[in-house]
Amino acid sequence: MQGDLAERRLTPKEELDLKNKRTGLAIFQVSWIMVFICMMVVHWQIRAQSPTWPPEGVERLGIVAPTAMTLALIFSSLLARRADRALKAGQTEIFLWNWRMTIALGVLFVLVMGFEWLTVPISGQYSNLFRVLVGFHGVHALVIGALLVRVYRSALKGVYHSGNFWPVEGAAGLWYFVTIAWILFYVVLYWS
Amino acid sequence: MASISVPIGSVPGQSAPRPRLRVSDYLRWSVDHKIIGVQYMVTAAFFFIVGGTLAMLIRLELLTPNLDVVQTGSQYNTLFSVHGLVMIFLWIIPMMAGFGNYLVPLMLGAKDMAFPWLNAFAFWLIPPAGILMVGSMLVGAPEAGWTQYPPLSTLFSGDGQTLAALSVHLLGISSILGAINFLVTVKNMRPPGMSYWQMPLFVWAIVATSIIVVMATPFLAGALTLLILDRVGGTTFFDATKGGDVLLWQNVFWFYSHPAVYIMVLPGMGILSDVLSVHSRKPIFGYKMIALSSMAIGIVGFTVWAHHMFTSLQPELRIPFMITSMIIAVPTGIKIFSWLGTLWRGKIRFTSAMLFSLGFLSMFVIGGITGVMLAMIPFNLHVHDTYFVVAHLHFVLFGGSVFAIYSGVYHWFPKITGRMLDERLGRLHFALTYIGFFFTFFPMHFAGMLGMPRRVAVYMPEYQGLNATASFGSFLLGISTFLLLYNVIASLRSGRLAGANPWRALTLEWATTSPPPATNFVGDPVLFEDPYGYGTEGASDYLDAIERRFGAPSQPVVVDKPASPAAQGASGD
Repeated sequence: MQGDLAERRLTPKEELDLKNKRTGLAIFQVSWIMVFICMMVVHWQIRAQSPTWPPEGVERLGIVAPTAMTLALIFSSLLARRADRALKAGQTEIFLWNWRMTIALGVLFVLVMGFEWLTVPISGQYSNLFRVLVGFHGVHALVIGALLVRVYRSALKGVYHSGNFWPVEGAAGLWYFVTIAWILFYVVLYWS
Repeated sequence: MASISVPIGSVPGQSAPRPRLRVSDYLRWSVDHKIIGVQYMVTAAFFFIVGGTLAMLIRLELLTPNLDVVQTGSQYNTLFSVHGLVMIFLWIIPMMAGFGNYLVPLMLGAKDMAFPWLNAFAFWLIPPAGILMVGSMLVGAPEAGWTQYPPLSTLFSGDGQTLAALSVHLLGISSILGAINFLVTVKNMRPPGMSYWQMPLFVWAIVATSIIVVMATPFLAGALTLLILDRVGGTTFFDATKGGDVLLWQNVFWFYSHPAVYIMVLPGMGILSDVLSVHSRKPIFGYKMIALSSMAIGIVGFTVWAHHMFTSLQPELRIPFMITSMIIAVPTGIKIFSWLGTLWRGKIRFTSAMLFSLGFLSMFVIGGITGVMLAMIPFNLHVHDTYFVVAHLHFVLFGGSVFAIYSGVYHWFPKITGRMLDERLGRLHFALTYIGFFFTFFPMHFAGMLGMPRRVAVYMPEYQGLNATASFGSFLLGISTFLLLYNVIASLRSGRLAGANPWRALTLEWATTSPPPATNFVGDPVLFEDPYGYGTEGASDYLDAIERRFGAPSQPVVVDKPASPAAQGASGD
C-alpha cells in the first residue's frame, strides 16, 4: 500500500521514466533469452550428430549438485522478489535481509557451477557443449550478480526507499532472467 | 473529415528562429536523437563509399574473364566478402537506424527517445566495429563471403575472419539496443490523441523492424559466439570430422539473416509509404493493410530461413519452406498494390524523392518476382549459387533498400538541415542511378541462368559480354553516387531555405522548424488527426498555419491550392 502511495507521488516525467524502464527491461528479457534458446538449438543439433548421447565412452554428468543449485537459484530469485516488495512497502530491514540472502545463494550457485565447469572431463562435443553453455550462462550470472552486490552496497548507505526503488527492481528483474535462462539450460543439459 | 481548429500560428508573422547546426556537435558524444540520427547516417554513408569502392574493384576485375586487378583468387574472395559485410551491416542497417532515430521521436511529437544515453551508446559501438571490419582486410583477410559459412570461415580464412565476426557481433548488439529503444519509445511516448492507428507508416515499419531485431539478432550473437570459439577457443562445433556440424551454422545464421533481409527493407517500405502519399497529395491507400502487412512480413519472415539451404537440406523439409517462402509474397503484394492505389489518380509531383520511390516500386517488384522464382525448388537447384542469386539480392537490397534510402534523403534533407537539395541534380542523380543500376544487375540474371557461378574471379569467356555490360553499368552507378554527395555538400552551403514544411506534409516532424530546436517542438506539438489526410480543406488550413508559425520556404516548392472548388475533391492538399 505504502509503495503505491510513493508511486503516486512521482511527477509525470518520473512516471514516464519508470514506465520506459519497465518496458525496456521486459523487451530486453524477451530478446536476450533468444540467445539461450539459440544455444539450446545448437545443443540439439550437435547431439543429433551422435548415435547416442552422451557419445559412447563418455560418462554422463552427475545431477545432484546442479539440481541443488537450480533450486538455490530459484529460491534466490524468490527472495529477490520479496526484497523488492519489502523495499516498496518501506520495510528496509526485511529488504536488506532478503537481498543479502539473494546474493549469498547466488554466490553459492556460481561457486558450485564454477567448480563443475572446471572439473568436467575433456571429452569432445559433450563436454564442449557443457562448458560453452554453462560458461555462457556463468558470464551473465557473474555480471548481473556483481550488479546485485553493487545495489546492496548502495542500499547499505540508505539510498533506496519506497520512492527510489528502480535499481533494486531492475537488478531483480535481471536476476529473474538469469534464473529462467538457467532453467532452460538445466533441462537441456541434464534432463534431455 | 478533418475538422480540427488550428491554434498554431494564430499570431501572423510570429515565426520561430531557425537553430543553427555546428559540425563540432556531430563529432562528439551527444544524447540528442537528432544528432545521433545524423551521426548514424553520415557514418553509414562513409561505409557506403568504402563498400562501393570494393564493388568497383569487383566489377573492374570481372570486366575480363581472367585475373587482372587482383593477383589471386583469395584477394578476390576478400573483396566480395568485405563488400557484403560492409554494405549490409555498416551501410543499410545503420542508415535505416539513422532515419529511425531522427524521425521516430519527431513523428511522435516526443522530445527524445525513451533512453537517450543508450541511444548514443548504440551508435558509438559502430565506429569501433567499422574499424575492426576494415582492419580485417589487413590481417589475413576474411574470405568466406558475408554469410561466413564454415568450414570456409573456420579452416580456410585468416585472422581477419575473427575480427570481422567480432565487428558483426558489436553491430548486432548495437542494433538490439537501438531496437529496444524504438519499441519503448513508440509504446510509451506517443502524444495524447495519437493511437497506434494514427502513427505514420514509417513508425509502423520501424516497429515491425525492431520486433524482428530483438527476436532474431540474438541468434546471430549466438552463432558468432560459436564461430569465434571455434576459431580461437578450440571448440569444434562446425567441424564435421570431430562430431560437429557445418549445417548448424547455416541453420542458426539464416534464422537471423533471412529476417535481417526484412530488417533492411521494411524501414524502406515505411519511407515509401510516407513519400508516395505526400508527393501524390493523396491519402495513403489501405493504411491498416500496409501497417499489418509489415507485421505479417516480420512474422512469416521467421519461417522461411531454410530456403537458403535447399541444396543441403533434408528433402522432406524442402516443400514446407518453399510454401512459406511463397506466402511471404502475399503481404509484400498487399503493400505494392496499396502503393499503386495511392498513386492512382493522385496529383503526382515528380520530385527526386518521388522518383526514387517509384524506382523502388519498379525494381523491388523485379526483385520480388525473382524471389518467388528462387523459392521454387527445381529452379532454385538449377541456379543455386549462380549470378541469378546475386541479381536477385541486389534488386532487393539496392533496388529496394538503397532506392528507399535515397528517396528518404531527398524527402527529409530539408527537415534535417533547413535547406533544400537541388532538384535538378536530384533528377539527374535518379536517372543515372536507375540506368546504372538496371544495367549492372539485370544482365546478371542471364549470366546466372547460363550457369555462371557467383564468387569467382575467373569465368568462361562466353560470359564476358554480360559481365562487361554489368561492369559499365556499375561504373555509371558509382559515378551517380558522387552527384548526391556533391548535391548534399553544395546544398548545405547554399541550398534554398526550406521553411518548416516544403512538401506540405501532415506528419508531425514537419510541424516544427527545420532543423528542429533542441527540444524538437516549442510547446506541445499540434497533431493533425489523420497523418495522410491530404485533399481536404482542414488539411490545407493546418498546413497554412504551420507555414505561418514556423516559416515558409524561400520559394514555394509546392503550389497545390485547388484551382477551383470543383477540383478540390480529387486533388488539392
